[in-house]
Amino acid sequence: MRILLIEDDADTAAYLQQGLKEEGHAVDRAADGREGLFLATTEPYDALIVDRMLPALDGLVLLRTLRGAGNTVPAIVLTALGDVDHRVEGLRAGADDYLAKPFAFAELSARLANVVRRADGGAAQTRLQVGDLELDLLGRRAQRGTRRIDLLPREFRLLECLMRQAGHVVTRTMLLEQVWDYHFDPQTNVIDVHISRLRQKIDHGEATALLHTVRGAGYRLGAA
Amino acid sequence: MSAWRHARSTTVRLAVAVSLSFLLGFALLGGSVYAAVSALLLRDAREAIVVDADGLRDVLADGGRAPLILAVRDRIARPDDPDALHALRIDGRVIASDIPAAATPARDGWHESREPDGTRLLVERRTLAPGVEIATGLRLRSESGFLALVARTSLAALAIAVLLGLAIGALISRWVARRLRALDATAARVTEGEIALRVPVDGTGDAFDRLAHRFNAMLDRIEALLAGVREATDHIAHDLRTPLGRLRTRLEQLRLQATVSPDALEPAIAEADQLLQASNALLRLARIEAQAPIEQAATLDLSALARDAMELYEPIAAERGITLAANAEVLRVRGDADQVFQLLVNLLDNAMKYAPPGTQVDLRVERTGEHACLTVADRGPGIPAAERERVFDRFHRIETDRGTPGSGLGLSLVRAIALRHRARIALADNGPGLRATVSFPLAAGE
Repeated sequence: MRILLIEDDADTAAYLQQGLKEEGHAVDRAADGREGLFLATTEPYDALIVDRMLPALDGLVLLRTLRGAGNTVPAIVLTALGDVDHRVEGLRAGADDYLAKPFAFAELSARLANVVRRADGGAAQTRLQVGDLELDLLGRRAQRGTRRIDLLPREFRLLECLMRQAGHVVTRTMLLEQVWDYHFDPQTNVIDVHISRLRQKIDHGEATALLHTVRGAGYRLGAA
Repeated sequence: MSAWRHARSTTVRLAVAVSLSFLLGFALLGGSVYAAVSALLLRDAREAIVVDADGLRDVLADGGRAPLILAVRDRIARPDDPDALHALRIDGRVIASDIPAAATPARDGWHESREPDGTRLLVERRTLAPGVEIATGLRLRSESGFLALVARTSLAALAIAVLLGLAIGALISRWVARRLRALDATAARVTEGEIALRVPVDGTGDAFDRLAHRFNAMLDRIEALLAGVREATDHIAHDLRTPLGRLRTRLEQLRLQATVSPDALEPAIAEADQLLQASNALLRLARIEAQAPIEQAATLDLSALARDAMELYEPIAAERGITLAANAEVLRVRGDADQVFQLLVNLLDNAMKYAPPGTQVDLRVERTGEHACLTVADRGPGIPAAERERVFDRFHRIETDRGTPGSGLGLSLVRAIALRHRARIALADNGPGLRATVSFPLAAGE
């Protein structure tokens, strides 16, 4: 992917750039809002990472300007301000996701993959499949091979969320947001216990495990 | 509101004191006027009596006994003053007298007596010449009447003064109470967390106005100090985050290198995560404390939040052999769903951490008067009464908890969120265990 990173802090920018490059992305960096807006409107990017507080032009103003001009490139806003009000403000300005500093690089990477995938469409699916695991979104049924899996409603949503982002890391915070619809820092292992229950149901007794824990980051659903 | 009750009893005492001093003042004034008037009247009466007696002495000196007898008889028959009294004794025999026998003095000098009807009689007896004794006197009828009038008027004035004193006392105390009430109400609300509130100042420059100014200056200072502390925490947490974030990322990158064992790095990453979480929690705490109290936020159904929290914690409870029991009424409060959920999760998390296996953790949402009360109760070791206030302080951890994971910020967050939502937190003994109750004001119309 071609990514534009608009971040004024040189150190933060350097390590984000390095991390993104290691994941195989091409990264351009703008050091202030004006340069960022110029690059975003003149070059084709797959995603934007925008610091909220920028010299020359505020990150939210930049996004509003882009969206006003019909530019729909997926964008994640990075910010030191992580409250609901700030988040709502950011999403209204046209951000696709919002990440409060400080964050783990894994979190940014997972969210980046998620916003890009969402922008690609694929929302109107009624069946999801990962390996031999199938999820029927209309019939609210899950099965692995020929085995029916009974899921509680919340487990169903948890699995759906993981399957929609199959192959990608989904973090604990993302799961809280997407499955429980609450934005806060749990600081506990509540999500892990839900995942281990789900893992029991889908992987127990199977030859290949589908639900993997990614150390220090989150979870990934996939055959490998 | 006990401060207000104290103030009210103070103003009542003030009113009583004012009317009592009015009463005392009037009693002293009335008493001394009465005494002065009474003395004046007596002196006048004595003067009149002396003048009369001197006249008779002159008659004796000028003409001898015969004209004196005539003069006394004449004065008794046709008195200038109907209250005048005379008696003349010559050589031990009463020649003429209109003084009642009981009032007739036996010796020379001034004599006072009363008639059976209470009228005062004042008589002076003197010996004008050997064998010639004269007594002159006055019935003090008009003087007594006048004094009675003075006394009656004084008593009436006294009654009016007492009533006036009570009325003025009441007015003053109401005025004082009104001024104090503003101060008291502001102090109460500031204590509840509305640190930006100030006492209204009316610009009169009187003592209350000066007190209000001083009070406001004190609040300004407290607010500035609080802001300073908050800013310092914010800066520290903020400045720590970037290097911490980088540290964590570098550790993650190291893990990708084949030369380093992932197992060796895991604890380091976990430590970095814990530091990040603590600094994030500090920042969130500082931000929530800086936010204005909830006024016009959307309404939330506390029971729905409780259900979500229950469902989130049910697997952990099952894993630890704890029963999670909920009993939630549908009650709506105004607030920020994420923050109230965080409060709930922090309380539940604590309960889960301390509840022994095989016990029950209760989660209740119920109405108590005008409040929606959220209660989380466990059967763990509880918190000693002496610690119950301090557990809300940043980084405060009970001594016995030092070994367990946690930042000591969970309950600080709970308190900050509760304050912002105008909710009260009470920690109580659950006999055994801890019962934490957060009472939110109900949303209007509930």
